[in-house]
Amino acid sequence: MSDTAAGVTTTDKPIKVNKWETNAVKNALDDACKKYFKETLNFAEDYKLMDGRLYISFIACLFSGYALIYDWLNPFPKSRSILILCVIAYFILMGILTFYMQFIERGKFYAGKLVDRAGVDPVSRCTVSSKLKKYDDKYQLTLDYNDGTDKTSKSLKKSIGNYFDENGVLCYDRFTADIRKMYDEARLNARKAK
Amino acid sequence: MHWSRKLINRLLRYAIVVSTLLMLWKSLVLATNCSRPILVVLSSDGYSFYNLGDLFFVTNYPADPIRTGDVVVFRIEGRFIPIVHRVIRVHEREDGYVKFLTKGDGSQVDDRGLYPVGQLWLEREQIVGKVKGYLPYLGLFVILLSNLPLVDRLLSGVLA
Repeated sequence: MSDTAAGVTTTDKPIKVNKWETNAVKNALDDACKKYFKETLNFAEDYKLMDGRLYISFIACLFSGYALIYDWLNPFPKSRSILILCVIAYFILMGILTFYMQFIERGKFYAGKLVDRAGVDPVSRCTVSSKLKKYDDKYQLTLDYNDGTDKTSKSLKKSIGNYFDENGVLCYDRFTADIRKMYDEARLNARKAK
Repeated sequence: MHWSRKLINRLLRYAIVVSTLLMLWKSLVLATNCSRPILVVLSSDGYSFYNLGDLFFVTNYPADPIRTGDVVVFRIEGRFIPIVHRVIRVHEREDGYVKFLTKGDGSQVDDRGLYPVGQLWLEREQIVGKVKGYLPYLGLFVILLSNLPLVDRLLSGVLA
């Protein structure tokens, strides 16, 4: 998913990226958002989405590995039927994977849930997805907040210039302030709808 | 995120790339019905059809008869590298049994010296396929790469 291109992320060191590299910028912002949810808002990350993708890829690799080994042990004309089976299965799985990433995952890089310690409120879930087009500076962050009873979706679209300084250092506080605002709005919205 | 999940994520991403290339190669093998649809010529003798570095496209359709004059790729037991020579004689029986004699374009004698002791004719099963076309010089890159021992082992692992 997102690997920080700039290096080790610690709570103390500010993240520095190449501000002209769209991918690095998006990954830095996504990572900062994840960090904020984990450390400040105390959400526990939910890995179901990512695991689904990993499972599909794993099964696809099993098929290709099996084809490779079988073909190695029984040279071509004998392995024909197995090869046909594995190749077809592999490409079907690739289709499923593409479908999964395109429609089900859809840019969601974080899914988390907040379990209220008092046990009074139901579990609230948050799914965050982001979009940053190549060579564009408008970063769109969408937060889907599910309170157990109501669902709201809030998104913010701002230029990345708001969060990075001239050297490409991420201003963590400015970014998280915006996230916080969005999160509070979403919670308020959900409560109001009740 | 736990380090094992990150590691698996990374490994699988590379594995998918490699698997896709592998599966595409296997589909080519299936489509041409030939275990080595693309071949690189490693050596040449004199003036021949094939020169060092040529990239050959081979097919092996059963309905495609092999006739005198065709250039075929064949494999002898005990030799890992297949040989690309021209068919100079074909004997056919009524029941469909065919046998071939091949000769390299640049050599003075036929290939009987290459066949295993006691074998005078080439069987249909030993023929990997018929050469349909070629691209010159592109194979030189593969030859250069195969000088690296790791790439060499990888290629022989995939091609069996």
